Amino acid sequence: MKLFLITAVISILLSACLKQSIPDAMLNAEDYGGQADVTATLSYKVNGNPVNLTVPDAESQNPSSYTLGCTKSGDYDLDAITSSGEFTFVFLTDSLTIGHYVFPGGYGPQFITTYNGQDEYTYYPTDSMSFNVTSYKNGLISGNFSGQLTPMLSTGNNDFGAPSSVLITNGSFKNVPVFY
Amino acid sequence: MPKGPLALIVLFGIAMQANAQLGVTKLVGNNTSQYTTGFTAFVKAGYPVSDGSDITLEIGADIFFLNDGYGTADGTIMCPLVAGYRYTLNGTGEGFYVEPQLGFNLAGVTSLHDAAGNQINLNYHGVVFAAGAGYLFNIWRAPFDLNLRYETVVDHGGSNNFISLGISRYITFGKRNKQDY
Repeated sequence: MKLFLITAVISILLSACLKQSIPDAMLNAEDYGGQADVTATLSYKVNGNPVNLTVPDAESQNPSSYTLGCTKSGDYDLDAITSSGEFTFVFLTDSLTIGHYVFPGGYGPQFITTYNGQDEYTYYPTDSMSFNVTSYKNGLISGNFSGQLTPMLSTGNNDFGAPSSVLITNGSFKNVPVFY
Repeated sequence: MPKGPLALIVLFGIAMQANAQLGVTKLVGNNTSQYTTGFTAFVKAGYPVSDGSDITLEIGADIFFLNDGYGTADGTIMCPLVAGYRYTLNGTGEGFYVEPQLGFNLAGVTSLHDAAGNQINLNYHGVVFAAGAGYLFNIWRAPFDLNLRYETVVDHGGSNNFISLGISRYITFGKRNKQDY
């Protein structure tokens, strides 16, 4: 009798140590049709000031109106709405794969991000944004990025500030869904 | 008739006691705050193996409603079949008892909505462990069982854990073999 009780109590204690419910375990293990919740993240620093964005269940976002995602429209546009403003990057390719992508300056102003109410662009030849896509599977891309940008002045005349004076560093993105 | 249900009927048929119980139950553990207090119902048969203990067989249903804001019938239903050993502490078959149980969840369904509003139905089974304690007593010669138990269903690397409180009236079909020494 004692052995039976001890075995029962140990079994219950061990099973109670499982930290997730059966539905959560099934969803996390993608037992349900591969529709597990995926958290997408984007983080970078603007002149040393961190910007972070986390989007739970990123694949369930509306493909035409999302907080963090990438859309194929000829090329591939990665867009994010962070607490400091919008962030965007254009992958100049019609077939996104793992690799290195650069958007150079000198081809006209290309909006990249807003920080502290100021829009930052690739504009001068010394500007550029470079992205490394290090993973692309199950419709999700991950990687890192960096860049040098030029601020647009708030004169209302499309005047630009000091060339390449805004540094984007420590950029990383993870599990960003690609919508087609 | 399939052998499984037939065996169940035979087992219940040779039982010396039967309980029918209604109770309240609550899911506990991580990510269960949106579940309201649920209901549990079961039928239990017992066969005395000594003056103070019974082998029990129980089939039940546990229902938990999920208040996830969609206003639908989201929630969890499980139907465990468990065998147990009920041991009364004073050895008389009445009074306080403990009862560990082990079994199988015949059917489990959790219905919920994902972030995009799509309904998801998750089906599972799983091994069932339970530890219960209770008090067997009589009111005007009618036998009752007031009990509290902790039950866990384990499947897919997770567990549904819940605590139940119930009261049941049981019917005795036979008498224990009591011998005077």
